[in-house]
Amino acid sequence: MAEALISDVAFVKGCAAIGAGLAVGLAGIGAGAGESGIGAAAVGAIAEDRGFLGLGLLFTVIPETIVIFGLVISFILMFAYGV
Amino acid sequence: MLKPESMVKVSIVGPRDQFESVSEILYRLNLVHIEDPVEDEYFKLGEPFERASMISRSLVQLRSILSYLKLDPEKFVPKRRFREEEVKAELDRKLEEYRTEIGARIDRIKELQERLKALEDELRVIEPLKVLGIPPRLLKDYRTIRAFVGFVKADPTPKIQNITSDFEIFLKSYGKEYVVAVFVRIEHADDVFRVLQEVGFREVTVPDIEDYDTRISEIRSEISSLQDEIKRLESEIEELKSREAELMLAIEEYLSMELEKSELPLRSLVSKYAFVIVGYIPAKRFDEFKSTVESETNGRVTVEKLDEKKEEFDPPTLLKNPPYVKDFEVLSTTFAIPKYHEIDPTVIVSIFFPLFFGLMLGDIGYGALITVIALYLKRIFKTEGWQKLLNVALYSGISSIIFGFIYGECFGPFVVGEYEPTRVHFLGGILYQLYAFNHHHPIFDRVEEFGVKALLFVTLVTGMFKLLWGFALGFRNVAVEHGIKEAVLEKGCWFIGVLGLTFIIFGFSYNLGIFTAPPPEGFGKLLPDNLYILGSYTVEDGKAVPLPIPGMVKGWQAGVNIFYAIALPLIIIWFIIFLKAEIPKMGAMGVVMAVELLTWFGQILSYARLLAIGLSSVYFAFVFNYLGLKIAFPPGMALLPLGIIILILGHTINLILGILDPGLQSLRLHYVEFFTKFFEGGGRLYKPFGRIKKFLE
Repeated sequence: MAEALISDVAFVKGCAAIGAGLAVGLAGIGAGAGESGIGAAAVGAIAEDRGFLGLGLLFTVIPETIVIFGLVISFILMFAYGV
Repeated sequence: MLKPESMVKVSIVGPRDQFESVSEILYRLNLVHIEDPVEDEYFKLGEPFERASMISRSLVQLRSILSYLKLDPEKFVPKRRFREEEVKAELDRKLEEYRTEIGARIDRIKELQERLKALEDELRVIEPLKVLGIPPRLLKDYRTIRAFVGFVKADPTPKIQNITSDFEIFLKSYGKEYVVAVFVRIEHADDVFRVLQEVGFREVTVPDIEDYDTRISEIRSEISSLQDEIKRLESEIEELKSREAELMLAIEEYLSMELEKSELPLRSLVSKYAFVIVGYIPAKRFDEFKSTVESETNGRVTVEKLDEKKEEFDPPTLLKNPPYVKDFEVLSTTFAIPKYHEIDPTVIVSIFFPLFFGLMLGDIGYGALITVIALYLKRIFKTEGWQKLLNVALYSGISSIIFGFIYGECFGPFVVGEYEPTRVHFLGGILYQLYAFNHHHPIFDRVEEFGVKALLFVTLVTGMFKLLWGFALGFRNVAVEHGIKEAVLEKGCWFIGVLGLTFIIFGFSYNLGIFTAPPPEGFGKLLPDNLYILGSYTVEDGKAVPLPIPGMVKGWQAGVNIFYAIALPLIIIWFIIFLKAEIPKMGAMGVVMAVELLTWFGQILSYARLLAIGLSSVYFAFVFNYLGLKIAFPPGMALLPLGIIILILGHTINLILGILDPGLQSLRLHYVEFFTKFFEGGGRLYKPFGRIKKFLE
C-alpha cells in the first residue's frame, strides 16, 4: 500500500471545505435558474402595469432563500470541521 | 401610527340651486372623498354645469400648447406663484395671446416643416437625374417614343435586347442602385416595362424644370431660409416659454380646478329639485366640515353622518404617520395599500429597514458616500416620490455609518486575521489609531469566526422575533375583521407553532453550548449549565444528543433541556388547533399541510442573509484593498497609478452592489417574511375632492 499523502484530519477538512463550496455554489446556480423565469415574467407584468412592481420584486427574490440555506449549511460545515 | 386615519361616511343634501356654491365650498375644503353613486328610480347622475364645455375647450387648446412646449405640471418647479384673482382677470386676454402668439407660431412651424419636407423630396429626385446628364425636357415622353426614367437594381440591357434592338439606354450607378433612362418605341413599351420590373424598376416623375443646377441651388437656398425661419420662430417660442411658463401652468391649474368643480354633478345624484353627495371624511374634521358647509349656505344644505352597517362601510385609507415615518410609505405602499381596518406597517418598516440596511452594509465610508449622494440628489429630484425615496436612502446611509463604526469598517475592514492593518487597508494606520480606545480593535468584529457565529445567531433570533410579531399582527387583523375564533384558527395556530419552533432552536443551541461556553465557542455563561429535566446532566452530556428524539437517538434523556420541555406542549397545542382548522376545510389530507411549519423554519433561516450580504461586501472591499496596496507599493510591482485605479474601480463596484443588495434584501425580508403574515392590502387611497395648489397661491 502506498503511503497516504495527507493525514485523515486534513482529508476530512478538505472534503468539508469542498462541501461548503458546493453547498453555496450549487444552491446559487439553482436559485439563479429559478429566478430567471420569474424575473422575465415579472418584468413583463411590470411593463403592463407599474403597480405590479412591489409584487414582482417579491416574486423574483423568493428563490434566493435557497442560497441562504446553502450558506447556512456551509457555515455549519466550516464551524464543525474548523476549516 | 399603526392605524389609518379614522373616517366617517357623510351625506351632503341640498336644493339644486345651491349645487354650484356647494361644489365651490367642497373643493376649497379639500376633505370629502366622494363615492361614485348608484342611480335609482328617483335619483339619477347629474349633468356637468354649463360652463364645463367652454372650460374644457380652452383647456384642450392650452394643454396642446403645453405639451408642444414640453411643460409638464407634474415636474415643473415654479419660481413664482399667482393669485387666483390675477389669473381670473387675465384669463381671456392671456388665452387669446397664447393662441395668437404661441399657437399661431406652432402652426406656422408645422407649415414650414411640411414645405421643407416637400423640397427635400424634390431634391431626392433631381440629384440622381443630374447624374444621368440629360436635360429634363428630353426625358419626357415623345409622340412615338416612350421614356422610362427611374431606379433599377441591375442592368436591364440584355433583357431589352431580347425584345427589340431599336432602343436607347442611359445607365449610371447611384448609391447601391442604378439610375436609368430607357427610350423605346411605343409599341414595345409594355414588354420593356415588364422586363424593367423584373430588375426592380422604380419610376421617377421628371419635374418640369429647365436646368438641374439652377433648380438645385434654388432649393438649397430655400431650405436654408426655411430652416432659419423655423429656428427664429422656435427661439421666439422659447423666449415666450421662459417668460410665461409659470403663468401658463397657473392658468392650466385654474382651468383644471374649474373643470373638476363643474363636473361634480357626474359624481353625485340629482332629482328634479335636490342633489345628494355621499363620501368619506376624516372623523376628527367632521364637526368643522359640517358647520362650514351649513353656515356658508345659510342652513339650506345639510351634512349628516351616515351610520352604515359594516358591509357598506368601506372607507378609503388615509395613512397617518409622523414626518420621519411618512418617508417610508413609499416602501410599504409599493407592496400594497392597507385596507381601512388593517394595520399600517409603515412605522415598523421605518424602524427595521434602516436597521437591516445598516446591519448588512455597515461601513463608515460607503455609508457616508450614500448619505452625500442622497443629499445631492435631493436637490435635483424635487418630486414628492423621489424626495421620500432619497430620504429613505439618507436614513439608510446614516444607519450604515453607525454600524460601520461598530464593525470598525471604512471602505473595508482593517483587522483581518494576522495581517498588519497597513497591509490590508489604505487607511489602516488611521483606523488603527482611531480604535485605540478599544485596544485597536473594532467594537464588534464580524470578520473573525466568533463575530460570524454571534451575528448568525443574532440574525436568526431577529427572524424568530419578526415572524412571531407578524403572526401576532395577523391575529389582530383577522380578529377585527372576522372575530377571535377565526383569528385563533388562522393565525394563533401558527403563532404557537412558530413559538414551539423557536424553543426547539433555542434547545438545540443550548445543547451545542452556545449559552454556556466562553467565546469563541459560545457567548459565555449566559445560562446555568444544568437546565436538564430528566436527571442531572450538564451541557457536556447534552452535546452528544443535540436533538433528542425518543426511539431514534440512543441516550436521548441526556439532551432534554428546559427549552425542549417548553417546546413540546406548544407543538402539541399547535397541532391540535391546526387539525381543527384544516380538517373541516381539506378533509383528512389536511394533515399533510402541517409540513408548512417547515416553511416558517426556512423563513427564520432566511434572516441569515442579514449576515451573508454584509460579509460578501466586506470581503469584496478587503480583496480590492489588498490587491490595490499590493500592486501600488513594494514589495509588489510598485505601480502606484494602477493600484489607485483598482481601488477606485473596486470600491465603486462594491458601493453600487452595496446600495442595491442591502436595499433589496432588506425590503424582501419585510415583503416576503414579514408582511405575508398579516398584511393583505387592497385598500383605496383617500383622494379628497379638491387639490393642493402648486402654481396658484
